[in-house]
Amino acid sequence: MVSDSINASIPSVPKDFGKKKRANRSAKLKQCKLDARREQWLSQGAVKSKGCREELMGPRGLPQQIHEEGRKDPLENLQMRRLGRRVGEDENENGSIHHDFDSDSPSNSPTGSSVLGGNDSGTNFTASISGSSTSGSSVGCCSGCITEEDEEGDDNCLDDWEAMADALAANDDDNKLENHNDDNNPCLELQSSLEHESIVQLDGNLGSYHENLTEDRSVPPRVTPGNSRAWRPDDALRPQSLPNLSKQHSFPNTDRHYGQGVLAWGCVSGVNVPSACPICTEDLDFTDASFRPCSCGFQVCLFCHKKMLELDGRCPNCRELYKNDPVEVEASVLGGSLTLKLARSCSMRS
Amino acid sequence: MATVNGYQGNTPVAAPAGTTPSKQTVPAARTVDTQSVLKRLQSELMALMMSGESGISAFPEGDNIFCWKGTIAGSKDTVFEGTEYKLSLSFPNDYPFKPPKVKFETSCFHPNVDVYGNICLDILQDKWSSAYDVRTILISIQSLLGEPNISSPLNTQAAQLWSNQEEYRKMVEKLYKPPSAA
Repeated sequence: MVSDSINASIPSVPKDFGKKKRANRSAKLKQCKLDARREQWLSQGAVKSKGCREELMGPRGLPQQIHEEGRKDPLENLQMRRLGRRVGEDENENGSIHHDFDSDSPSNSPTGSSVLGGNDSGTNFTASISGSSTSGSSVGCCSGCITEEDEEGDDNCLDDWEAMADALAANDDDNKLENHNDDNNPCLELQSSLEHESIVQLDGNLGSYHENLTEDRSVPPRVTPGNSRAWRPDDALRPQSLPNLSKQHSFPNTDRHYGQGVLAWGCVSGVNVPSACPICTEDLDFTDASFRPCSCGFQVCLFCHKKMLELDGRCPNCRELYKNDPVEVEASVLGGSLTLKLARSCSMRS
Repeated sequence: MATVNGYQGNTPVAAPAGTTPSKQTVPAARTVDTQSVLKRLQSELMALMMSGESGISAFPEGDNIFCWKGTIAGSKDTVFEGTEYKLSLSFPNDYPFKPPKVKFETSCFHPNVDVYGNICLDILQDKWSSAYDVRTILISIQSLLGEPNISSPLNTQAAQLWSNQEEYRKMVEKLYKPPSAA
């Protein structure tokens, strides 16, 4: 399966990144060649494999499974993707260096080259990517239908976004080292890859990544026909098992600037951070959070509550005696405060 | 973690007076307790430093977080205005379920403070609540300075003189030794 080959081939990439720090030109060329082939192969095989995997695991199993793959080595995945994109750029901008490429191969020629034809400016390249994705989104069906599954995917995306942010931060050094080979402005190059990866990562799985790639490429053919080799949203042969494209576009549209998106989402997820027990300052878990031992509303964790029952049994906030469970309340009604205390201490020991 | 063990050794084990029936569970819980006491004290320290409360301050003495030194400033419009008092706070292993031992390090001429610096304040004894913290303790002592409980004095001379605020102020100034000198 393609997924196996992805995992198997990935580890070679970071090693190569290490070597590149020593500016091993020939090794880089070789790697570029390898990556180009791999990407070509993946983009051919991915669609098939995507269909197969989805059938095997079902639409719900897929994001989870891929998600774990991403967890395993998000950095490598990113590097591979980044490299793949860079390969395209290299070919685009200083193609004379990388003769190895089959320039006719659609998977090697980036979106920008088909649209803008031999541009040498990173800005243009970035614009072409975002432009293509934007136009893709306008192509991309109805984005209004967000299903429950979509939201589930969103959750996965959140995790992947964080992983991606980490990986990107770690990658920046490599990236800058890389850029001396390119004529590109580092910032613009980074931006372009971010722009691209934001779309990729939002889907939270490799399958969608490939579809994104193919989808990216499915746009230019509208400009330059004859380059299409992937399914379009309205393609009759497009397998039913492929996810709705609107799923991908519901995201990049709202969060094109992924850095801000991460921050915003971080805040959103921070809303649910549980408050801490005022006594021991430990975070209240779900049980603690719903535990209201006193009518004054003062919340403590179960552990501290037990502790306080052992001591004076009063709420630290209002000093009222804690009312215990119905059995012990009955005991207190029957026998007064003394019985209550006995009942409580008995319950503590049992 | 090594420091945790150190604290356990340094801090006297409070006698569990009220918990004799469940004594057998106490030793097992002790180590866990120390952890949570540490956490609580650390978060209190953090909160105290972040709050920037004026007139009170406290900080662990040395590297033992179970022993703090605090200062309170005499409130404005009281006979203690312009004075500053140093206190020591010693936290038991079962803090905050038991109150810390708080003493004046600077001698304080006050109806509820004895010559050794012991403080007679209900929240430091029977009215203690685990919801109190260092900040509320220091604020309570600060307000105790200006509003002593004359009915149960530790320093009877101060209690008798309290009615004459002018004389009291003179006495405070006469007996006051700045914390640095103390």
